[in-house]
Amino acid sequence: MGVEPWERGVLAKPEMQLVVDPLEAGIDDHIYFSKEASSGGRGFGGGGCGCN
Amino acid sequence: MGATDGGREPGSGQFVQRLAAATCSLLGIGSTVPVLAQEEPTWALDTSFLYYGESDERVQDLSLNVLARRLFADDKVLSFGLVYDSLTGASPSGAIPLNEVQTFTRPSGNDVYTVQPGELPLDDTFLDTRYALTATWQQPLGRLYTGSVGLSFSTEYDYTHAGLNFGITRDFNKRNTTLSLGAAIARDEIDPEGGAPLPLAPMGNIGDLSARRPGTEDKDVVDLLIGVTQVVNEHLLVQVNYSLSDSSGYLNDPYKILTVVDPATGEGIARVPAPGTAGPLHEYRFESRPDQRTKHSLFVQGKYYMGGKVLDVSWRYMTDDWEIDSHTLEAKLRWPLGDRGWVEPHLRFYTQTEAEFYRPSLPVGELPEFASADYRLAPFDAWTAGLKYGFRTASGNEAGIRLEYYRQDGSVPDGLLIGNQDGDALSPELDAVILTVSYGFDL
Amino acid sequence: MASPCEVLSRAGRTVAREQLRAVAEEAWRIEEKFSRYRTGNVVDRINTAQGTPVDVDPETADLLDFAAELHRLSDGRFDITSGVLREVWTFDGSDRLPTAREVGRVLGRVGWDKATWVRPRLTLAPGMQIDLGGIGKEYAVDRAALLAAALDSAPCLINFGGDLMAVGETNHVPWQVGIEAVGPNGGNPARYIALARGALATSGDARRFLLRDGVRYSHILDPRSGWPVTGAPRSVTVAADTCTQAGMLSTLAMLMGREAEAFLARQGVRYWCMR
Repeated sequence: MGVEPWERGVLAKPEMQLVVDPLEAGIDDHIYFSKEASSGGRGFGGGGCGCN
Repeated sequence: MGATDGGREPGSGQFVQRLAAATCSLLGIGSTVPVLAQEEPTWALDTSFLYYGESDERVQDLSLNVLARRLFADDKVLSFGLVYDSLTGASPSGAIPLNEVQTFTRPSGNDVYTVQPGELPLDDTFLDTRYALTATWQQPLGRLYTGSVGLSFSTEYDYTHAGLNFGITRDFNKRNTTLSLGAAIARDEIDPEGGAPLPLAPMGNIGDLSARRPGTEDKDVVDLLIGVTQVVNEHLLVQVNYSLSDSSGYLNDPYKILTVVDPATGEGIARVPAPGTAGPLHEYRFESRPDQRTKHSLFVQGKYYMGGKVLDVSWRYMTDDWEIDSHTLEAKLRWPLGDRGWVEPHLRFYTQTEAEFYRPSLPVGELPEFASADYRLAPFDAWTAGLKYGFRTASGNEAGIRLEYYRQDGSVPDGLLIGNQDGDALSPELDAVILTVSYGFDL
Repeated sequence: MASPCEVLSRAGRTVAREQLRAVAEEAWRIEEKFSRYRTGNVVDRINTAQGTPVDVDPETADLLDFAAELHRLSDGRFDITSGVLREVWTFDGSDRLPTAREVGRVLGRVGWDKATWVRPRLTLAPGMQIDLGGIGKEYAVDRAALLAAALDSAPCLINFGGDLMAVGETNHVPWQVGIEAVGPNGGNPARYIALARGALATSGDARRFLLRDGVRYSHILDPRSGWPVTGAPRSVTVAADTCTQAGMLSTLAMLMGREAEAFLARQGVRYWCMR
């Protein structure tokens, strides 16, 4: 399964990255970490907080 | 769009070779000498301003986020992140609405606040400012490996976090398959206002900190992650991650309480503050959670390119030893608009079951080892619906604006209701608006 | 050549002067021989042949062989007979687009497949013209660089209006070339390329375009349809072993429109785009 190196054109587009906007992903992770009981999954966040 | 756009691209991988051969022929040379051109590095900056606002005078958050990245020769990357957060507003304390006026002592022990009959008790003590910093270094280790190491730090008036993380990736199968391994450790220090309450200690009058532990509390977290990213075809990319997270130490929320209730009626138990002081008019106890929590998560994501549009779909399943299970389903569709812009609708669905020790209130006389009324450990569903618009400005910088609506809806299981308690009144509910404005540019 | 040309040489003064003379003479020679504005040169004879066959010299034959190969490799996107389209397209920033009929009429005289090229004989259909502007400048840079390198091994940089070739020893401080390009996040800083050896070529729209109903038509015409390519970057800079290769890659990238970056990513070359 896969593609040859010269077939990677589309995959090289920035919008095809797994995390297109790391800043937005970090903001959302933090919001949902403060409001829900689950966190992470994609990778590691920047760390905990005392969010009440 | 006819033959001018995205038509059959010149040849396969042989195009560059054939171009080289044709050029040698033209110039009358045997072969070409490889080019040596390196870019001098610059800083790429991403900034984002966030407004988060809940309805009914609950939490509001304003934050500024900055991510700075610098590329060095040979694909090495250094990045710094900075977050400044300003939190205002009130948060549910875990106490339930009663048919009478309620009075609570603030966490500091210095003051009281009052809540009207029928109102959900909210504690507005938390006007908090938080700073967070991250630094990461990433570099290739040989042809197929990439390594990264990072530090994280955050501080607010009653909470400090410090963490270290590592990652390594390895490519296989002509870079169609990537294996990732990651580990993170963190030590958090909690310094609750007034001191950490003893587990299930009763809420006392003003000035009474007898049931508090002086000093700070610690929490340690270890995270491990293993993941595989696979290129399925030219248009489809899939990632699967398994992660394990283990927290130990002080896992309580030091400010959250439970209302003590009459086991027959479900109504509050009246209390008289000592003469000459002010204090709670009903009985409340501070929550108690286990000092250990292990979470397992499975995360699956796919990115699919459909002629200019990109569909991003993901699912995360989480289960832990507090008996919480959750599912998160998320979908985004990025839709190009004209030459410079794009629009991205976003939908997220989240559902969780309650923690084993979650209960909205505590019947008098019962003193379990663990109990919490924190709505975040309750069973609920949550929806997010949003739209983002992004575009490249005339000077070539990226700008974006995003508006989202978040709604949480819970339902307390009948088995956890006591006496005449009304499930609807006790079920968690949250409405929030999320607005982000972002701008990316280079220095 | 219609652009300033310079030679930067680290050789001794006397040799540097010889290099400059050799480069200038070669540039003028190629200009006179292949410019479509000069009467009497080989290009003029071909363009006024009215359908009769023309026999060409070996150098011209080499260029035509190259053009034919690139026409084939690029699936017809690169075509030296596409110049006549300028009769209906004037990119003056106005909103005057030609009609489909006008374009169709001219398109009848465009297409390398309508020419017969059997070395050394070229036969164009009546009304067709060739224009070597798309490869001439880069070819001149490479030829000039070979001459300069033959005179001295010290580092030397040939620069014909932004199309560059660096030759000579590489264990010296590289040449610092500034370009405008989009950064990893957007942004148009001046970026600096340290060029120790090899070529950089840039294709751009130089702000020549038409604007109608909010749609911007760049001046890069697709010879297969006669219409402008949509979604092309404002400029593309490519690094390659020779200026001919760099120029061809940057030209083809522009012709790929929205897919410019994806195309260049596939070729495994270093490139910088500005959108």
